[in-house]
Amino acid sequence: MRDRKGRPGKLKAGIKYCGGCRPEFDRVAVVKELREALGEAIEMVRMDDEEADFILVVTGCKTACVDVESLPLKAKKYISSLSDARRVMEELANKTKT
Amino acid sequence: MNKLMNAKEYEESLRKLKLKVYMFGKRVENVVDDPIIRPSMKAVAATYEYAHKPEHEDIMTATSHLTGKKINRFTHIHQSVEDLVKKSKMGRLLGSQTACCFQRCVGMDALNALSITTHAIDEKYGTEYNKRFLKYLGYVQENDLTCDGAMTDPKGNRSLSPAKQFDPDLFMHVVEERPDGIVVSGAKAHQTGAVNSHEIIVMPTITMREEDRDYAISFALPSDAEGITYIMGRQSCDTRKLEGMTFDRGNMFYGGHEALVVFDKVFVPWERVFMYKEYDFSTMLVEHFAAYHRQSYACKVGVGDVLIGAAQTIAEYNGAERASHVKDKIIEMNHLNETLFCGCIACAAEGHREPGGTYQNDLLLANVHKQNVTRFPYEIARIAQDIAGGLMVTCPSAADLASPEVGKWVEKYYRTRDDVPTEHRLRILRLIENITMGTAAVGYLTESMHGAGSPQAQRIMIARLVNMKHKQKAAKELCGIEKGDQVS
Ligand SMILES: Cc1cc2nc3c(=O)[nH]c(=O)nc-3n(C[C@H](O)[C@H](O)[C@H](O)COP(=O)(O)OP(=O)(O)OC[C@H]3O[C@@H](n4cnc5c(N)ncnc54)[C@H](O)[C@@H]3O)c2cc1C
Ligand code: SF4
Repeated sequence: MRDRKGRPGKLKAGIKYCGGCRPEFDRVAVVKELREALGEAIEMVRMDDEEADFILVVTGCKTACVDVESLPLKAKKYISSLSDARRVMEELANKTKT
Repeated sequence: MNKLMNAKEYEESLRKLKLKVYMFGKRVENVVDDPIIRPSMKAVAATYEYAHKPEHEDIMTATSHLTGKKINRFTHIHQSVEDLVKKSKMGRLLGSQTACCFQRCVGMDALNALSITTHAIDEKYGTEYNKRFLKYLGYVQENDLTCDGAMTDPKGNRSLSPAKQFDPDLFMHVVEERPDGIVVSGAKAHQTGAVNSHEIIVMPTITMREEDRDYAISFALPSDAEGITYIMGRQSCDTRKLEGMTFDRGNMFYGGHEALVVFDKVFVPWERVFMYKEYDFSTMLVEHFAAYHRQSYACKVGVGDVLIGAAQTIAEYNGAERASHVKDKIIEMNHLNETLFCGCIACAAEGHREPGGTYQNDLLLANVHKQNVTRFPYEIARIAQDIAGGLMVTCPSAADLASPEVGKWVEKYYRTRDDVPTEHRLRILRLIENITMGTAAVGYLTESMHGAGSPQAQRIMIARLVNMKHKQKAAKELCGIEKGDQVS
């Protein structure tokens, strides 16, 4: 697996949460699960970290009221439900395997 | 430099204040650590702490239109419909995390109402209130301050205007004008979070006429300004907080408070005066503040979330959760609670830009929302008490459960299932008691009734704001009384 700059190593994900006014699932627990499942292959970094490969936008419902345009990176992955979380987890697991 | 305080820094900042606070007839020397007041301080502290949590900062913070810097949303002037919507979401979030009144919304609403009204007064009279206000706002934002929004006067005889009261101090008024400022006397009643505030922002409480000019004043002062005295309000079950950290508190962490704030010949420098005798703008200030504050009752949706969670939990502990009427009652609670959410989101989503750039929520929908708030929490509380069962008001104390003599009987006879400890059952019942008839009922019920104006105040606004002619025209055209442009 190679990172955004083509170097071998961990994937670096910046996290952006919505405010969580009435989340339909536990956003923080999902991110923790994802981090645990992917282990060494992924590192969570600050959203504005220059090394970040993508931003994981985690919203508590499909309203997804986060201003994604103002986020520092173009590459984004979205989680707004548990099924999204499963999909993103599989995708990242595959990516980190190769 | 803008600072975004955290809970600890907020608490420390309060320790520097020299407030004159009385409770139970005695001066409170250490306000921050007083066991009755402290849970309310913790609830305000949550408004600071949540601004630092990555999973909540998106609604807890905003970008200052003055500096472009990140600030706590409670010090923000709404710059868009999105800001207004996020304000409602913030209320629900914090209500659901504290299950009480977290006190900081009223100051935010005062700031926003003043930003509109000072601009309008300046437009008409060429004054410079808005300039003063923006300087003050910059100070509030930069230091991340909590402001008490002080509107309600004691009001004396309700049928008389301020100038006609037998005691002139029953409404806040100017008693002296000096070259460097004014001297005011009067009081503000029911002040939410007063002794947890760094600042107090005073506004007139009703429409003023020419004869009431001396009462048409708005200003801000540090909460420990010379001449200000706080007399704490009592809450039902308040002294349970003196019993230590027992579960009889219901809510183990948070609470709210209100106080009577007396101003005895207090000096206000001109740079902190935002309205001075412009009685013709009192209605505007009151109505804009009221609309914002009626939206702020989004917090009750969050408290409702907790109460619904508690009702479902006690139903499960009691083994009643599968009964169809219990399921239906929980649905009804959710229906009422989400209907409240609809109102506070709708009035925000239908907001508009005022001439100075501040966004105002929709006045009619805000009043409709608050009218619902005067009713639905009572019905939600009634259903919660129905599901809870009588033990909520008859159960022995935490000390009895811990007693070496009788604890075993409490444990044995109030156990419902082998997988649920009796203590858990009593804890959740105490929480329901706290919200529906204990200290938190002040915020969840009576504040829902009277806070931001009693029910009739909203009905008057609803009557005024609906376009009745438009409705009548539609009706008359469709039944053929009047000719319209219907498809023939
Ligand atoms: C928990 C709580 C927190 C609050 N927090 C704040 C705060 O932070 N800041 C603040 O400024 N205020 C606050 N308030 C005050 C709130 O806005 C007032 O309670 C509200 O405006 C009603 O005023 P009142 O309590 O004096 O009741 P009253 O004015 O005495 O009203 C009682 C009843 O009389 C009726 N009534 C009153 N006057 C008239 C009249 N002239 N004609 C016909 N009917 C009349 C009312 O409609 C109502 O039904 C708070 C109130 C509560 C209960
Ligand atoms: S995305 Fe959903 S849960 Fe998150 S803040 Fe927006 S409305 Fe609330």
